[in-house]
Amino acid sequence: MKTGITTSVILHAAVLTFGLFTLSAPKPYEVGDVEALPVDIVPVQSITQVQEGDKKAPKKEKSAPKPTVRPDPVQDAQKVGDNNQDMKSPPTPEVKPKPVEKTAEPPPAPEPVVKPAEKPTEQPPKKAEAKPEPVAATERTPQPQPKQEVKPDPVQQAIIAENPDAEAMKLPETAPAPDARPQPPQAQTAKAPDRKVSDKPAVKEAARQKSEDKDFSLDKVAALLNKEKASGGGAKRSTDEAALGADHTTGGEKLSQSEMDALRSQLAGCWTIPAGVVDADQLKVTVEFSLSRDGHLEGSPRVVRSAGSRQADESALRAVNICNQRGFNLPSDKYQTWANVVVHFDPSDMF
Amino acid sequence: MDTLSLAAPVTEVSVWALFWHAGWVVKLVMIGLLCASVWTWAIIVDKIITYTRMRASLNRFEQIFWSGQSLEDLYRTLSERKTTGMGAIFIAAMREWKKSFEKGAKSPLALQSRIDKAMDLALTREMENLEGRLGFLATIGSSAPFIGLFGTVVGIMTSFQAIAGSKSTNLAVVAPGIAEALLATAFGLLAAIPAVIAYNKLSSDASKLGVRMEGFSDEFSAILSRQIDEKVAHQRAA
Repeated sequence: MKTGITTSVILHAAVLTFGLFTLSAPKPYEVGDVEALPVDIVPVQSITQVQEGDKKAPKKEKSAPKPTVRPDPVQDAQKVGDNNQDMKSPPTPEVKPKPVEKTAEPPPAPEPVVKPAEKPTEQPPKKAEAKPEPVAATERTPQPQPKQEVKPDPVQQAIIAENPDAEAMKLPETAPAPDARPQPPQAQTAKAPDRKVSDKPAVKEAARQKSEDKDFSLDKVAALLNKEKASGGGAKRSTDEAALGADHTTGGEKLSQSEMDALRSQLAGCWTIPAGVVDADQLKVTVEFSLSRDGHLEGSPRVVRSAGSRQADESALRAVNICNQRGFNLPSDKYQTWANVVVHFDPSDMF
Repeated sequence: MDTLSLAAPVTEVSVWALFWHAGWVVKLVMIGLLCASVWTWAIIVDKIITYTRMRASLNRFEQIFWSGQSLEDLYRTLSERKTTGMGAIFIAAMREWKKSFEKGAKSPLALQSRIDKAMDLALTREMENLEGRLGFLATIGSSAPFIGLFGTVVGIMTSFQAIAGSKSTNLAVVAPGIAEALLATAFGLLAAIPAVIAYNKLSSDASKLGVRMEGFSDEFSAILSRQIDEKVAHQRAA
């Protein structure tokens, strides 16, 4: 037995000493210096929220649309343009008016010229003819209209005289639209048989009558008509030099979704849901607090809507206070949007 | 393992450093397992020597026994020195034979049974000598892994408690504690594996030697029985 013990002891001693010197610390794994992956919370608003401007203009500090010609401002206008009404169509260079004039001029131009001359003389017979019509139909108002008919023409002429440029505007506006529209309704009403009886002798008179009817409602129609140029764009006025931007400003100074998520996760990390409360997932607390520009609390947070449990309310307040110790990490350039924060603490998501 | 040593994790992770940084329970377990390993190897070495000698002596005895030498002469030469194995069985049987005939035994049947008993006794004694301490190997082989595991569990427990104290789950903080705890399992396996292998080998060797000795004792018993019959017949004839 002695030999066994001595052999064993010697063997172990040898192995252990051998192990001590050879089985030293294994080589540590050589891990290359991996740089931490920088994760930025990139606000998507730089893409989704753009300022109004000109899409083709060079980039400038402040986006601005193409300057408009007319200086008079229109209230609450959204779209830039020279019109008085805010139209959705974008302002386009006025190349089209010329071709429109050529096609539209011939029919409308002679009519207005003829009308002022003939109307005063031809009105009485027309009235006689027209009178039965109003009785049958509901058109009593047309009667005084002949007097008014005279007015628009001089006014228009005056306008034309005053603004020779307006000719181009007026022609396409008045000519095409009213000519086409009043006729179909007339044909539909009961007037048609009357005309057949009375207009048979003079076809010209019927034509005149039509034009008369037109004149009757012309004022109204004219009033209703959209005198804005289709190419004029909206009514918003711009005086700045054109700079890169979108058609209209989308969104404003708002926290983007990612930034709101960041704020949410910050608060969620600080929040410990009160444990052991009955219906803990029903405890919804709304807390309001003000922040200073450096992302710390200004004043103390207050419970706007209590959960009905003091524990839950305090846990929400505690969450805000704990986060305050680190400071809220929010974009300082949007301070105005997060100067006051209202947070809904809703634990139902956490269960 | 206290919190401080974890907070500043050991840079050296050699076996010795791991052992030195381990808690006292783990250290105790490791030292115990080391002692068990030493004892196991001592038994293994001792048994290998014993069995080798035994096998050699059995071969030599069988050679002498079947060489046609007179049993009386053999007894005379063997009784003078210490004998093991078959020699011991032979001497035990011859001693009983001699005693019975010197005092003039009456019943040959009783003599036969006495000689058998003496040989059985000698055989049992020899087998006891051969198989002694093999049980320890079996015990170590089966329990050392558990002892090592116990050390590991305790080590990991304390190391986790320390991690909880240090409030850092960095792998560099966690790793040394777990490594030193695993060292205990390594020690347990280191002791258990040779013990199991040696136990199986040695116990089969011992049983082989036992069978050989049993065969000899049966054979010798038959020879003696024939001798007794011859003597009885001779006495009746005389």
